[in-house]
Amino acid sequence: MQSSVSVKEWIDMFQEIGLDEAKRKQFHKLFESRHPEGHQGFLEWLGMPAKDIERVRSGSK
Amino acid sequence: MHRGGGGASATASFYKKVMKTYTISKLARAFELSRSTLLYYDRIELLPASGRTASGYRTYTATDYRRLERICTFRQAGLALEDIRILLSSRGSSCAQVIEKRFREAGQQILDLRNKQRLLSGMLKKLASDDSTPTVDKKMWIEMLQAAGVADRSMSCWHREFERRAPDAHHEFLASLGISEEEIRQIRGWSRKGKAARDQD
Repeated sequence: MQSSVSVKEWIDMFQEIGLDEAKRKQFHKLFESRHPEGHQGFLEWLGMPAKDIERVRSGSK
Repeated sequence: MHRGGGGASATASFYKKVMKTYTISKLARAFELSRSTLLYYDRIELLPASGRTASGYRTYTATDYRRLERICTFRQAGLALEDIRILLSSRGSSCAQVIEKRFREAGQQILDLRNKQRLLSGMLKKLASDDSTPTVDKKMWIEMLQAAGVADRSMSCWHREFERRAPDAHHEFLASLGISEEEIRQIRGWSRKGKAARDQD
């Protein structure tokens, strides 16, 4: 399953509700520590390439 | 066969000139077999070496080479060494019997594999259906947004943005959190009404 929103669009939407880069990082950290599998699933759903997912997740540990 | 005559070494060199012969190592390499396999084939007389050098090493001829080629083909087809020996030494009916027996066995193996494949596909399906329960649900998602510092008010703003930009993905995303169709309809409903109906950010 792949989303029809791109990663960029998702970031734009987060930006609009006040999730700046620092908060987004915090959000990834939370996601990774609370629900590692969900984090993976969500990034896959966004259609992020596996290579990038690995980078984001290891950067959130 | 030309044997004897002007001494063993002269005979060996004569053969070398007249016909191509193989040492056991060379033949083994040509078929990617081990030397011990060929020694075994020699011992059980499936593939006896045609000759020996003066110093007693086995030599194989082009005929041996072609016989080994056939042996390897039959092995690949799954025939037992004993059956191969029968095949190579006989013509006609016993030959057909051996092959038919193997043909039936192969058919049975196909059936066994099909069964195995059906079982595995069942397991896969089961795993996939277990997967459809969300690993992250609505509550977890909201908690994370809150923890990251997103105000409740901003979340409704986010729904409106999501609905405006990518309504299908909005639906799909909410469903992936395990939210019911009814509630999704409600959320998308007020998301569409937009700024007029809800809080102005």
